[in-house]
Formats: sequence, C-alpha cells, structure tokens
Amino acid sequence: MKKRLVLFFALVLALVTGFTAMTATTANAATDTSLSKVQKKGTLVMGTSPDYPPYEFQATVHGKTKIVGMDVAVGEKIAKDMGVKLVVKSMSFDSLLVALQTGKVDMVISGMNPTPARRKNVDFTHTYYQGGYSIVINKSDKGIYKNKDSFVNKTIGAQTGSTMYNESKKQTSGTTVKGMTSVSDLILALQSHKIQGVAMEKPSAQAYVANNKELAAIPSDFNLSASDTSASVAFKKGSTALVAAANKSVDQIKKQNLVNKTYLPAAGKYLKTNTVNTSMFHYWKAFLTGIEYTLIITVCSVFFGFIIGVILALARMGQGGAIKTGFRWLATAYVEFIRGTPMMVQVMFVYFGLGLIVNLPALTSGIIAISLNSGAYVAEYIRGGINSVDDGQTEAARSLGMSSGKTMRFVVLPQALKNIWPSLGNEFITLIKDSSIVSIIGVSELIFQSNIVRSDTYRGVAPIAVIMVLYFILTFTASRILNYFERRMQHD
Amino acid sequence: MTKPIIEVKNLAKSFGKNEVLKDITEQVDPGQVIVVIGPSGGGKSTFLRCLNLLETPTSGEVDFDGENLTTLDTKRVNELREEMGMVFQGFNLFPNMTVLENIKLAPMKVKGIDDAAATKRAHELLKQVNLDDHADAFPSSLSGGQAQRVAIARALAMDPKVMLFDEPTSALDPEMVGEVLNVMQELANQGMTMVVVTHEMGFAKSVADRVWFMADGYIQENNTPEAFFGNPQTERAQDFLSKILM
Repeated sequence: MKKRLVLFFALVLALVTGFTAMTATTANAATDTSLSKVQKKGTLVMGTSPDYPPYEFQATVHGKTKIVGMDVAVGEKIAKDMGVKLVVKSMSFDSLLVALQTGKVDMVISGMNPTPARRKNVDFTHTYYQGGYSIVINKSDKGIYKNKDSFVNKTIGAQTGSTMYNESKKQTSGTTVKGMTSVSDLILALQSHKIQGVAMEKPSAQAYVANNKELAAIPSDFNLSASDTSASVAFKKGSTALVAAANKSVDQIKKQNLVNKTYLPAAGKYLKTNTVNTSMFHYWKAFLTGIEYTLIITVCSVFFGFIIGVILALARMGQGGAIKTGFRWLATAYVEFIRGTPMMVQVMFVYFGLGLIVNLPALTSGIIAISLNSGAYVAEYIRGGINSVDDGQTEAARSLGMSSGKTMRFVVLPQALKNIWPSLGNEFITLIKDSSIVSIIGVSELIFQSNIVRSDTYRGVAPIAVIMVLYFILTFTASRILNYFERRMQHD
Repeated sequence: MTKPIIEVKNLAKSFGKNEVLKDITEQVDPGQVIVVIGPSGGGKSTFLRCLNLLETPTSGEVDFDGENLTTLDTKRVNELREEMGMVFQGFNLFPNMTVLENIKLAPMKVKGIDDAAATKRAHELLKQVNLDDHADAFPSSLSGGQAQRVAIARALAMDPKVMLFDEPTSALDPEMVGEVLNVMQELANQGMTMVVVTHEMGFAKSVADRVWFMADGYIQENNTPEAFFGNPQTERAQDFLSKILM
C-alpha cells in the first residue's frame, strides 16, 4: 500500500514538474519576483509535516490545536525578517515538495535534508541545524541492538520519502527497511513489535524517548555526509530573491545558536504540556472538528455528486443526433475513467494538478474531487433507476401532452429515485467513510484529526478506536435516517 | 359536411423487416365512435399509437384537426397530444401519486392550471367515473376496474377532443369489464369522439358508429356495426367472426 502511495506521488510530481517546467522557463527569464510577491500578499506560507517532534508537531495551546516546534520558530523568524505573517500548512511529508512546486506553499521547513536529488527540484537555504541520526528501539531490547548493523534479519522503519529511509536501505545489509508515512505510525509499529527499530533524527529520537518510558535511543552510526544530517529551508526552484532573504535569517540563527539556545527548549516545553493529559476525552474538540469536516465533505459531495450523476445519466441515455451522441460518448468515457482510477489519485490530481490553474483550498479540492468521483457512480445508479421505470409511465405522460423533459422530471425521476434509494443510501454511507481519503491533502477530517491526536499523545491505538466508534455512529445514524425516508416513500 | 378530425393517409409502419401496418387510409369525423376489431397481431394497437405519434409512422401521414402530425416539430406535437386522451390496457397510473394527484399532474404542469382549479376539476371527473371517495387512495389499493376508470378521468382532465382506447378492458377481471364499458358508453353519449381498440363485441354493436375490421396490416372492412356483424363482406372478416363466441 505504502509503496503504491509513493508511486502515486511520484507520478503526480512528474506530471506537475512537467507542467511547471513549461510555465517556469518564461517566468525565470525575467528578474525574480518571488520575494516581492510574498511581501505583496503579506503572508509566507510554510508547509510542514507535523509529526516529527521536536522539529514540528501538534500541541494543544489554550484549548486549540496548533503546530509548534523548532521549525515553526525558524519559519516565524524568516517571516518576521521579511516583514510578513507566517501561515503554517500541514500535510504529509511526501506531498510537501509537490505542494511547493504547485504554489500551495511558499516554503517547506520540515526537518528536510538538502540532498543533491532534492536540489534538482527545489532551492535550499543554508542549513539552520546540524543533527544526526539515532535509532529508537524498545527499552526491553536495549542489550540486543547497538547500532544500525545489529538489525540483520530484522526490520528497521523510517518515514517514507525521508533521507533516513534511503540511507537505511543503502547502509544496511540483511536488514529489511519498512517505510511508513508518519513517525507516530512507526513508533506504534515498533511498540507492537512489527519492526525492531525506527531511524530518525537525533532530536526527534530524544523527544520520543523522553515522552515514552518504553523506548530507548541508540546511536545509528550511519556514515553520513553533512547534507544528509542537516536541515534546510526549501523554496521553489528559481526563487533566488526569497532564498537570499531567508539566508540572512538562517545565518543569524546559526550565529546566535538560536536553535539550541531558544527553539529546542521551547519546543520541549510544548512536548511536556502535551503529554500531561493523554486521555482521549481531553481531545474531544479535535475529534469534533474531525466529525464536522467529515460531514461537510460528505454532505456537499453527495449533493453535488447527485446533480452530476443526474446530468451524466441523462447524457448517457440521450438518443439520436450528432450532439447527443457526442455527449453520450463523453459521459460514458467520463464514467469509465473515474471508475477506473483510484479516488486517492483523483483527490491529489484535483488539489495539485488543478492547483496549477486555480489555487483551490484543500477542503474545496477535496469536495470537488469526491463529488466528481461520486457523480460517476451515482450516474450508473440513476441510469439503472430510470431503466427500471416501466415504459408505460412515459407513454402515459407523453399521451397527456407532457414534454420529454417534464415527463422525466415529474414522472420518471421520482419513481427512479424511489427504486434506487437504497443504492443512493449506500453511496452516502460509503462517502462518509471514503471522505477519509482527503486527509492526505491536509483537510482536518476524522482520520487527519486522529493522526494529530496520535502524534500529540504518543498513543497509537486509542485514537483509532475512538474514530472507529465515531465513524460507526455516523454511518449507523445515517442509515437509520435513510431507512425512515425509504419507508415513507413506500406506496405500493 | 363536417371536416374530419382525424385523417389517415397511406399510413405504413414497420419494425425492422416486420411490416405491421401496410397502407391505411381512413378518417374519423367529430362525435363518431369508431371501434377497431380484429385478430391479435393485426396491428390494431400500433395503428392507435400512430394516431398520437407514440409510434412514428414509417410512411404516410396522420392529420389531426387539419395539421399533419408527421411534419410538425416536437413542441407542436406535444400540444396536439393534449387534445387526444389515451387510455392504456395496463392503466399506467403513476404509482407514487394519489388518484387525485394522478389526475391533477398534467393540467397543472402542462396547462399551468392552479392547484385549486385542478383539484375542483379532478373531483368533478372522479364523480363522473363514480370514484370520488377514492381521491386520496394510491393506485396500488385500487381494483383493475377502478384503476382504469381513474385512467379515463386522468385523460379527460386535459379536455381532449378525441379519446383513444387501447384494449381498455383486456387486463380486467370479467366482473369489472362492465363498470369500465359503462363509463365509456356514457362518454360516447355525451358526444365524445372515440377510437376504441377492443375485443368487446357487445360494446362494438351497441355503441360504435363504425366498425373497422383490421387484419394483416390493412383495414379490411369499414362498416356500420349492423352491416358488419350481420353481413360481413370479406372472407377474412367472416372467418374472424365465425371463430368468436357471440
């Protein structure tokens, strides 16, 4: 699954770089306007993957969840020096660079190492922090593992798309390397003995060990170049003015040793307050937000999906005439294409791909993608529903002088709707569950919120259990309501 | 000399290679009751459905009130269909609507009549077919005879000039045939122009002005009921009549 996920992202990235390459060449020819653009809009949008304490993580501050950590402090410093406001956007580590290239974010600070491969696609500032790698293990295994070479015939985990992942693969032999999107998942896998160690940056390892008595850290002894262990700020390729401005701030940070003196201790304090109360009830607000967004996405998508579905169904059933044939062909192609591609790819394509033309917020992108997807399925239900209505109904309506449009609207569709109500209900319930896919583009629906709670509390299972129950309550309530309306429609 | 309300000229209709109607030229005068009889598969229903263009003729023309339907655009055909009520063998009531709503739908949505006026008219029509006490029932709770009478009331609600009946009693239990035929007879007595495809010979004898005998895609005989039943001219008609119980 994770492998496929990486493949999707690689595909989207390839597509997107292809597009940007075409548009970017003309933009770069002129003098670089990246800095003045940011100053004009007054905000600097920072992309980060907040599951990597103490670099960046979610903390509850005065009852509100907030992204904090040393990287956020670095971002704030850069924004302040430029005279603009910092906006922090969270998303999965894999999608950060795509978001940067498609203009969803202005910069990426996420403990990212400026590797040569990444340098090909984005520009980096000077490094603001020089770390190293540790391997986190279960405390009970402390005697068994010494460093990276102790894991022969065992499994080491690392965050997908990270340098640790690639180096673990390269520098171990006889060791399986397992990639996962989030570090909290990796820790959970470690504690449930699916894997024996997790490779991560030293400060992160220290944070996890400090917050979880079951864990211990050992040195990794990876042979690393400076670029592999340092963290830099990434900007879109060619934005030299922005990089130059950011470098001034980064140089100051290094000179004054701000990371070690100020940022890391501050982040540590958040970590402490974070873990004081790890009961699920303490996070009810986070879950409530999740329910709210899950419902918004589902209800909007069902509504628009139904409209799209009706239009597609009618287009697919049109007979005669070159125009009608054209529409029929288009609608059929659309339905086949949507049903033949994964919803996850569609969501990413709308967010990142359409993002090149219009800058859509993640929530809107999610609703659009799911509506478009649902429309294709609903179209097939509606087509079946219309076909299930007896021809005699149409004939009776036409013989009364009703046009084909009125016949459809007042006679056929109401009956078709009744016939397909159970299928539509299923679709609604499926959407409640499938809306979870938009978590990958950072919409704060239930899955996304549960991931936040997991990285906040260092508790792997409890939040999953909570959202499982919440999802069930949502779907069960929905199916009861749908049944009520189904009964009300029964006349024969 | 009155002008005919329906004129059919050289009408032919094929489904693929199957020629159902071959060459039909007839006319219906205002106020006339035409009963079309003949063996099954002879094209009677297809003929009736060609009159309001539920089936598109392969060739020939159908004139209604002086306008050739086959040359008109869809909008005008829809308008002229309002003037030709049709009653089907299978009733085709809208199952998701009450009896009253069935009758009100077309007047409100097509003619734009307001709810109060449409309701008033619907109740009048239901009284005419003796079903006003079933106004709020759903079709599924009606007997076949009741359903067909509602279907007649629904067609009449558009104030048609002509009523087309496509085997209106064929799907009914025998004891319910009478109630439907009575309503049709009453309608005929009021002067409604009617074209009725049926197997009810009694109805043909007592109500029809003309009997059209149809077989093999042609109108074989067009005569008064007395002449047709008393002294059929063609061998085909003699053969048909000899086979049915009178």
